[in-house]
Amino acid sequence: MNCNKAMVLMSAAIDGELTPKEEAELAHHLTQCPECRAEFQDAKRTKIIIRDRIVRVKAPSNLVESITRLTSITS
Amino acid sequence: MNDFIAGHRFSGSDQMKSPSMDPAKQHPMKEKEKKQILTAQEQLKQQEFQQEAVAHINSLYNYALHLTMNPDDAEDLVQETYLKAYKFFNSFERGTNCKAWLFKILKNNYINKFRKNAREPGKVDYDLIKDFYHTIKDVQSDTTEAESDFFHSLLHEEVYQALQSLPDEFREVIQLCDIEGFTYEEIANMVESPIGTVRSRLYRGRKLLRAKLEDYAKKHGFDTESGE
Repeated sequence: MNCNKAMVLMSAAIDGELTPKEEAELAHHLTQCPECRAEFQDAKRTKIIIRDRIVRVKAPSNLVESITRLTSITS
Repeated sequence: MNDFIAGHRFSGSDQMKSPSMDPAKQHPMKEKEKKQILTAQEQLKQQEFQQEAVAHINSLYNYALHLTMNPDDAEDLVQETYLKAYKFFNSFERGTNCKAWLFKILKNNYINKFRKNAREPGKVDYDLIKDFYHTIKDVQSDTTEAESDFFHSLLHEEVYQALQSLPDEFREVIQLCDIEGFTYEEIANMVESPIGTVRSRLYRGRKLLRAKLEDYAKKHGFDTESGE
């Protein structure tokens, strides 16, 4: 496996979406390629930063009440 | 044939009016029972809907905000989504991912209602993104601080801008995967593309995003090559 292919697999690896065969191939490549090992760590960190730094807000209370009311009316 | 019986001439309307023939009067309890069963069924549906569907309102609202960049439009979109979802709740397959089902409805509603006003491909309005970010950032949030090294300097706003500046198809899959936690299969269903396409968009989107984040990190004086 070359590094280009490894990087494509890394993206799916951080999401736990590799097939067993792909996992084994990537794991083998990472044991032999320190640059890709570092890249893999950075890829994981990018995912964390997106997940944790994007502001998430709670739905406004009037919206919650409105939907609760709407779906409580007998159709 | 003489249809007189005991001096009474039976006609069609007479048959209908006869107490023994009027269904409502013949089985009065069944009609009432039927109504009670319907009310109980409806109550059960409402309960289930509150537990399964309304539980995801925060996620839906956040997704709607990212799509519309406008809190009022986001509220309308979420409301319409829930109305449609409630109407078709009986078609939702219990045991499957209700959040994914709701997101798909919301996405379809967004396309039908707002897509015509969507930004031009390749055009990014950074001022709009910045203004919008400041609108929402003061609202109560549930973020936690990430452990990171050279990205540690990045402001929330910069990460947000970097994400929002990506082409739609890349931003969407990153949002659905990294922020909302859907599987590739669920995302593929939502964006109506093969899993391979989802995988490719995530790889390319993250590569672009990473480049943008490195630019921001460099502005803060970080050497992204060495990570210092």
